[in-house]
Amino acid sequence: METRIRRIYVKLAGLLLAGSFSASALAQDDQTIDEIISPDLERREIREAAIDSEDFELTTYLGGVLSVEDFGSNRLVGGSLAYHISEDFFMEAAYGQSELGESSYERLSGSAPLLTEEERELSMYNLSLAWNFLPGEIFVFDKLALNSNLYLIGGIGNTSFADEEYFTYNVGAGVRVLAQDWLALRLDVRDHIFEHEIFGEPLTTNNLSAQLGVSIYF
Amino acid sequence: MAALLAALLLAGHAAAQQDEVPVTESFSARQFDSQPPADLPFDSEQVVVGSEFLNLYTGPGRGYVIDHVVAYGEPLWLLKRRTDWVKVMTRKGKTGWAKISELDEIFATDGVRVVVPTPGIDDYSERSLRLGFAYGDFAGANSMGVSLGYRFTRNLSAEVRAAQTVGAYSNSQTYQVAVVHKPFPEWRLAPYFLLGTGINITSPNATIVATEDRQDTAMLTGIGVTTYLSRRFALRAEVANHYLLTSRENNQEIVEWKLGFDVFM
Repeated sequence: METRIRRIYVKLAGLLLAGSFSASALAQDDQTIDEIISPDLERREIREAAIDSEDFELTTYLGGVLSVEDFGSNRLVGGSLAYHISEDFFMEAAYGQSELGESSYERLSGSAPLLTEEERELSMYNLSLAWNFLPGEIFVFDKLALNSNLYLIGGIGNTSFADEEYFTYNVGAGVRVLAQDWLALRLDVRDHIFEHEIFGEPLTTNNLSAQLGVSIYF
Repeated sequence: MAALLAALLLAGHAAAQQDEVPVTESFSARQFDSQPPADLPFDSEQVVVGSEFLNLYTGPGRGYVIDHVVAYGEPLWLLKRRTDWVKVMTRKGKTGWAKISELDEIFATDGVRVVVPTPGIDDYSERSLRLGFAYGDFAGANSMGVSLGYRFTRNLSAEVRAAQTVGAYSNSQTYQVAVVHKPFPEWRLAPYFLLGTGINITSPNATIVATEDRQDTAMLTGIGVTTYLSRRFALRAEVANHYLLTSRENNQEIVEWKLGFDVFM
């Protein structure tokens, strides 16, 4: 009885050994295994399109005017760089230079000027976010339809004159007409709001600017 | 009845087989000669439309009119892209704008699928260069700052920062270099710690008394949090402590709160 049981054990061990041997033999034969387990699927290759983005817009002001409250209206020169985030939004960094005229106090009192010539030079920069809220087309006579945008814009920045820096908020609206895909004409009207103390007391001023610019996309 | 069933099965089988043929080798694609249009810009990429049809708009915006449709198998040339739109040219030389989300099935002439990448959360977690803009409160003064960051590892990045602050009594400019450590960059709201040094140039307002500009070395410590917004943008809030090593009797501490966003480039 006992020998019979042992014989069964031996047979079982032999079988297991043989099994493991044949398995290792199979494992060495990679090709066979690959044929058995690799799924019948073709891998799809994907490639990124080699395509140029034109999301930046560089604007130069052809003509601009800045009215500084109580210091008259003067020519504004400058430009801006915009990044188009989506078809609805873009952000813009702008820089401009202008100068101040004589204030009404200086003109009427006839006294010594409040500011020197150097102090009348004004420079400003700002960073704004804009929303193209009325995209559309502008029709010029019979044959021409130009893509256009009406946008609302607002942001923060800095205005510098009279040896001082003034923290400036700006809000405004503008219209952009695209002559080509890469060329546009822009008219932009902004209110630059800051507080100054040139007349002795803190005074919040609204300073309007209007600028016509030409911009290229790249 | 059996004949009908067999016909249906055969038709189904035929349809299934047609699906397996790549669009570049399909009957539809072979109908069109792939002769490029005459006024094609030299560096544009040729693809074949693999969806049933593709709408072309007159401008890069959802409101513009669809004035052309490109069919399955038709060749198309990609010219350029603006935001989520791609300007394309058809085989007849007509140009139009296609929405990137509708350009999901285009194939190169060798049959490889072509995708037009759109910026997403991967840019936030993988791009190493970032540009930041922030608005802040610098101990009661308004501040406006820019920063340029470069990420070395998943957690560690270096930053160059510049800010202009305008206050009631003084204006200042700060320039700093800092090391930013983000222990859990994969969190929805990922916190970070900041350690840096730099200079603060303070100019008291001349209307009060005539004073000179001061330039002090500053030590910077801060904590903040960033969260992914959309596309290439992340929102960022921070509170930082500027410790000014002044030449006067006491050193000065300034706490600055900032809210801004980072653009991943």
